[in-house]
Amino acid sequence: MSRGFKLPRLSSMPAWFGVLVLEILLIIGMAITQPVFFSASNLSNIVRSSAIPIILGIGMTFTILTAGIDLSVGSVLAFTGILLSGFITHMPRVSAVLLSIVITTIVVGGINGLLIGKLGLNSFVVTLGTLGIFRGIAYLVTNGTTRSMDTGKLINTLGDGNFGPVPGPLLVVIVVAGLSIWALRSTYFGRDVYAVGGNEFAARLAGIFTSRVKMTVYFISALLAALAGIMQVGRLQSAAPTAGAGIELAVVAGVLLGGTRLSGGVGSITGTVIGLLFLQTVQNSLTIQGVSSYWQQVVTGVLLGAAVLFDRFRANYSGRRKSREESNVTKE
Amino acid sequence: MTNRVSMLGITKHFDAVKALQGASLELHAGEVHTLAGENGSGKSTLLKILAGVIQPDDGKIAVDGSELTFNGVRDAMAQGITMVSQELSLVPHLSIAENVFLGHNQTRGKFGIDWHDTEKRAVEVLKRLNLNVNPKDEVASIPQHEQQLIEIARAIASDTRVLLLDEPTSSLAPNEVAALFRVVSQLRDEGTAIVMISHRMSEMLEISDRFTVLRDSKFIDTSPRAGVNEDWLIERMVLNKPKKAIHMEKKNTTPELVLEVKNMTDRNGAFQNISFNLFKGEIVGLAGLAGAGRTELVEAIVGLHPRQAGDVVVLGETIAHSTRATMNAGVVLVPDDRREKSTIRDMSIRDNLLLSIHGRPQKPRSKKQEEKIVADWVAKFKIKMSSPYAPISSLSGGNQQKVVIARCLETKPKVLILDEATRGIDLGAKAEIYQILRELAAEGLAILCVSSELSEIFEISDRVLVMHAGDLTADLDRSNIEESDVVSAATGAKK
Repeated sequence: MSRGFKLPRLSSMPAWFGVLVLEILLIIGMAITQPVFFSASNLSNIVRSSAIPIILGIGMTFTILTAGIDLSVGSVLAFTGILLSGFITHMPRVSAVLLSIVITTIVVGGINGLLIGKLGLNSFVVTLGTLGIFRGIAYLVTNGTTRSMDTGKLINTLGDGNFGPVPGPLLVVIVVAGLSIWALRSTYFGRDVYAVGGNEFAARLAGIFTSRVKMTVYFISALLAALAGIMQVGRLQSAAPTAGAGIELAVVAGVLLGGTRLSGGVGSITGTVIGLLFLQTVQNSLTIQGVSSYWQQVVTGVLLGAAVLFDRFRANYSGRRKSREESNVTKE
Repeated sequence: MTNRVSMLGITKHFDAVKALQGASLELHAGEVHTLAGENGSGKSTLLKILAGVIQPDDGKIAVDGSELTFNGVRDAMAQGITMVSQELSLVPHLSIAENVFLGHNQTRGKFGIDWHDTEKRAVEVLKRLNLNVNPKDEVASIPQHEQQLIEIARAIASDTRVLLLDEPTSSLAPNEVAALFRVVSQLRDEGTAIVMISHRMSEMLEISDRFTVLRDSKFIDTSPRAGVNEDWLIERMVLNKPKKAIHMEKKNTTPELVLEVKNMTDRNGAFQNISFNLFKGEIVGLAGLAGAGRTELVEAIVGLHPRQAGDVVVLGETIAHSTRATMNAGVVLVPDDRREKSTIRDMSIRDNLLLSIHGRPQKPRSKKQEEKIVADWVAKFKIKMSSPYAPISSLSGGNQQKVVIARCLETKPKVLILDEATRGIDLGAKAEIYQILRELAAEGLAILCVSSELSEIFEISDRVLVMHAGDLTADLDRSNIEESDVVSAATGAKK
């Protein structure tokens, strides 16, 4: 039942291509109408504010690629900051940073990874639980107060400062994204991640340790959330139990906008970076236009809806041919 | 007398595979019509087209003489055409009554649905099927064969003028079959046209008024009951069936035992106490009806399902119960469902082929080595594709299967198990796969082939195992074996 008209080969473009086009149009449009948008300081501001969501988004991409999700990232970010604030007065800063990252990764990654990977519990439920637990601990330890601290140069550079001419957070993003792209593209682990998300049964049958792969992605997500926690402290020169509250919505939105499929098996780090950069650019543009921050949340939600709809459209379009063959593979 | 339904010149392609080529079917009111043919002959496809589940590429469908186009199941249902498919389509956590009236108008009272009346009506329908169940129970709480009857009850509950039954008896016990047939005859007497697909010869002959035979997706013959007996059917269903093996020049050396399966029992009761051996260089066919527990058995052998008891022993060593351990020991499975179980649809042909590569003692070190592995298999198996980076779903079923087989062989196995290796694959690719299997066996691989197609079993096997209802009922040597031996073992018939 062909309709007689041919769309451009939508299915052959990378999923994030459309978002990249929107991002460029948005930048051009804003640069023309609001000169302040295109100032060096504002552009650097966009990059700096995007860094933390992108780092979280990269971890999220790993979990979503395996058909899971990690909702605990915002809480873990706050938890790590609080942990750092405790350690930093007792030891050299580098040790404090490393220790808080290691502890967070082992504890959070361990809980999420064991429950989801090993015991096969639902990732949404498990990480909703850890979201509550680690946010709660952060409040308990600090009694709800924000802890200021002297972060020193290293932490500040990671979160906000410059490393030579390059903004520190940008450097972190480049390193983390680069490593992740390499891991997903060129290692057996990366192939296993896609395989587990694409068809867990087939992956298991092919001899892949599916539970180990799933555990690993939650460790990665915890590790990156911890790193983001350190960056947040560097950015604000303080650790707040409220840090990153609700950020998981924006992160998941950005990851999906970037073309990663919620049901797993399809997606890319490149897409995530572009998706989250786009969300951040939109927010920045709205701020410059004087739109209230409440509206910005509405816009994020609408964009997410639009992205998911678009993805469904793509899937239907490219799936039409497939579905014929599917019914063939079933009985008779 | 005009036909209740006539289908003429129905053609349907699934990509490269011709499922139907100009098939026709005529149904009279008040008859039970059996659609006969081997697996893959297009029977189910034809029924699905009549039920509006899939749309034909070409051909005409007329109901009561007027030509119609069905764009979906709704259109067919509007004509009173209902299909009960092989796969259950019940909602497990709704009540029986709700399932019986699912999609139909239920009794409405003042305050929405009148559940009391709905349940009463459900009981009436179920009584006709001799089924005594509480309509308030969840469907998931009753056994599978009763669920099948619920599905039939659903068809009866609506005003069905044409009832399509795709292997309705495959999961039913004899007394349930009898109850079903009573209802079928009753419906026939009321003027309903009934089409049935069955693989049980005796059932077909018992209930049918007329027969239509399909073979290789084409219409072959149609005849009323009077002119039909078993030979008539077989003659038309099977063309030049190779009764004896073609490749019987086996060297008579002492066979080397590779795989021993000892007392395997499934935790969920799909099979019990299965033991058999597999020797180097032989192809063993595992025959049986759908639901005999063959898929569960082979999946348990490779460590996919928990088992209650039993051991898998390879070359004298008992293997730990995990897929990876089994693979490392040299036993691999090509599962029955490419879409659900073996291919990863969003991955390229190359990645699908290299998926098991960790299982190799020497992983390839470079991309170049990987490319070579892929290129070698593509050449060896003549896999037709545009590029190794194209998605696996762009391949035909046969070529997909070759990729999966290549993936398994890349682990250098000693035992290759295939479950319905050629399901949904066109004839040419089938022959190629048989050839591949023979060559592998000649190289010393032990091969176990689960198949529901007798012709396939006879085509490739050196030895035939038969399962019935979770038991291993026969272990037959190829040299002196009749088709009837396999059939009677598979149906659990007493000799």
